[in-house]
Amino acid sequence: MVQLDASLLTPELAIAAAGVCPTDAITVNGDRTEGSLLFEAGQCVMCARCVRAAPDAFHLVSEPEVAVRSPASLRTRVGWKGGKADRSGRSADLETGDAPQPAEEERRLVDELHVRAMRIFNRSLHIRHVDAGSCNGCEAELQMLATPSYDLARLGLFFTPTPRHADCLVVTGIVTQQMEAALVETYEAMPNPKLVVAAGVCALGGGCFAGSPRRTRPLDRILPVDVYVPGCPPTPLALLHGLLLATGRAEERYRASGTGR
Amino acid sequence: MSGLREIAEAMGLSAVPAAPGEVLVECTEAEFKDAVAGLAERGFLSDLFATATDDGHRLTAVFSTIGDPGWLRLQARLAGETYSAVTPAVHGASWYEREIAEVFGLIPHGHPALLPVRLHGGEPAKFGRRRRSRAGMESIEELNETAPIQGQGVFQLPLGPVRSGPQESAHFLFTSGGEDLVMVRPWLGYKHRAVEEMAIGRQADSALILAERLAGTSTFANGIAFAQAVERAGEVEVSDEARRARALLAEMERLHSHFASLAKVADSTGLTVAAAQYNLLREEALQGCAALTGHRYLRGILAIGGLAGPVAAGGLRELSGSVVRWRRRSRGLEELLEGTATFVDRLETTAILASEYAHEHYLVGPVGRASGVDRDSRRDHPYAGYPELEFQVLAKSQGDALARVRVLLFEVGEALSLVEQLLCAEFVAGVAAQPSLKAGSALGWAEAPGGETLHLVDLDSSGRISRWRARPPAAVNWHVYSHACASGNNLTDYPVIEASFALSVAEFDR
Repeated sequence: MVQLDASLLTPELAIAAAGVCPTDAITVNGDRTEGSLLFEAGQCVMCARCVRAAPDAFHLVSEPEVAVRSPASLRTRVGWKGGKADRSGRSADLETGDAPQPAEEERRLVDELHVRAMRIFNRSLHIRHVDAGSCNGCEAELQMLATPSYDLARLGLFFTPTPRHADCLVVTGIVTQQMEAALVETYEAMPNPKLVVAAGVCALGGGCFAGSPRRTRPLDRILPVDVYVPGCPPTPLALLHGLLLATGRAEERYRASGTGR
Repeated sequence: MSGLREIAEAMGLSAVPAAPGEVLVECTEAEFKDAVAGLAERGFLSDLFATATDDGHRLTAVFSTIGDPGWLRLQARLAGETYSAVTPAVHGASWYEREIAEVFGLIPHGHPALLPVRLHGGEPAKFGRRRRSRAGMESIEELNETAPIQGQGVFQLPLGPVRSGPQESAHFLFTSGGEDLVMVRPWLGYKHRAVEEMAIGRQADSALILAERLAGTSTFANGIAFAQAVERAGEVEVSDEARRARALLAEMERLHSHFASLAKVADSTGLTVAAAQYNLLREEALQGCAALTGHRYLRGILAIGGLAGPVAAGGLRELSGSVVRWRRRSRGLEELLEGTATFVDRLETTAILASEYAHEHYLVGPVGRASGVDRDSRRDHPYAGYPELEFQVLAKSQGDALARVRVLLFEVGEALSLVEQLLCAEFVAGVAAQPSLKAGSALGWAEAPGGETLHLVDLDSSGRISRWRARPPAAVNWHVYSHACASGNNLTDYPVIEASFALSVAEFDR
């Protein structure tokens, strides 16, 4: 995954990175003297062009624990004034009217409640996958989960062919016009309680297919998404992290803005 | 053997200057059908598509022939909305013409079954229920009604688009008479993302991102085919080092993709240990790709004019050891599979695709080669680093699942030998400078794991894409799938058939 080191971002690097980003995961508002950069990891197709154009500020992180429960963790904004970057990293979230971050205590309670609720799936989660319009990269990596290298069954995770037996729906790809009905029918066929994991940037922000004329709506406007796994495609370990995060068996670690290692 | 230019001249068609290695022939709308039929008889029809122009449309047919590394492009301007169909003379043109009708609304008069190929009609698809067809086109249901399959105990079984396991979305309508698989109709297009359309008006390097995401398992092959089309159209030079690196990475992709296909075939015959072993090899190949480029599916390393960054030296060092191990293990697995009677029996005579039929449809890749279509664009139209490399191409005549698997096994060995040859070559970081592109139009091609992928790119004077046509191997090979399934197989053969074809849905749907 790509991560932004806000402490090393300069307006010049921000403009250079935004100039090479093919999916608008990095956008700059304003100019060199006053402006802000918005980085959306949920749109990042990992082409690494920003890493080559602005190696100080953007770097590839190899940690597999990149899945998140809130899309806000995948978004960061850095502002600057008079050519100087605001080092705080995410301060501008409030300026632009983005949803404010819940207070620390509130967040802790929500997390704890979620973990308790998900205990019902502890050590046995049956997964149904729906390809809603992918390039087959995400399917290839999902298939790897069932191979000896990753062996998801050792964690109590199983693929199931029928949605009637499924606890968790993994969705890949942009939702195309011709897959939306099948996707919704599959979700409705699953018994409650159920989880939804959006895997891969196409299922998150749309990635490079965000503007496809065949895309209906973003996935999280169609189904309630519990966990977002970025990546193009997400690696098998990232997918495992996403599934464990969904059941409260792993922690959320990734932040779009960080100091890397 | 005569070249494409001679063939065209013998038919009374005159060639005009075009991109190097390409023969461009302009003809009228009235001549188009006969010219395509004549050329298809003497060579391979590699693609047929339409392009919207200021004053109507342009039809383009692309041909190749054994013994000529170039391509022949036949173009005809179309003023109206109809033309006379090529399909009655050249059956391999059928799905191309259906796509032209579907996308551009140009109706090929005389087409025997003008069905949609990817778009399911005005309404969103609801599997198992009726759909409306696009104006002027029949729907699949109408075909079922006008040409129903009848017989004692015949029933139909729909499968998909959501199928078991993590698989691509596609719908298959099985017609069975108890045990016999009478007919399988694949119905694709669920994943249609309009990839080619999205590239229009973009700079080439921005559209490259889309080409790399045509299909995950053929990321690099489609990437280089697109990049080469842009480089040839825009007159950009690519260094020898970058060409070699491209060949190396393309072979790495063939390895992980073929290992995956072999794992699926082993799994479909119930050999879980063999499947696990091939999946371990696949994972190691993917990790090898990541060590070379930073991405398991080789995304982001390619650039117009060369490579975006150097191939990692550490990855190359690691690879020289891995190749030896992979060769030993894949040879051992091959011997075990060939010595397992249940495996060989299961594949032998399953889903036979006759050689004549394969030739009539101008098949590509391992599926074509297993049915005697001896074509491989690495050898027939050398590109990237392939002219200086030594490798063999295996074509078999049986056309059954066993032949397809043997072609895959052979190609794994050849890919390993190509990687070894390339590791001996000089590698200096082939980083591309941002090239300036001229206006032009050219073809680009590559041998993807599934077969030849052929791209056409038109660049305007500002270096933006005005038309991109991608014809990946799955766009050709899906055409014959139904026929192969109906060659006297059982319902229980179906997983074996699907695994032995290893066709990508994402490539077809685009």
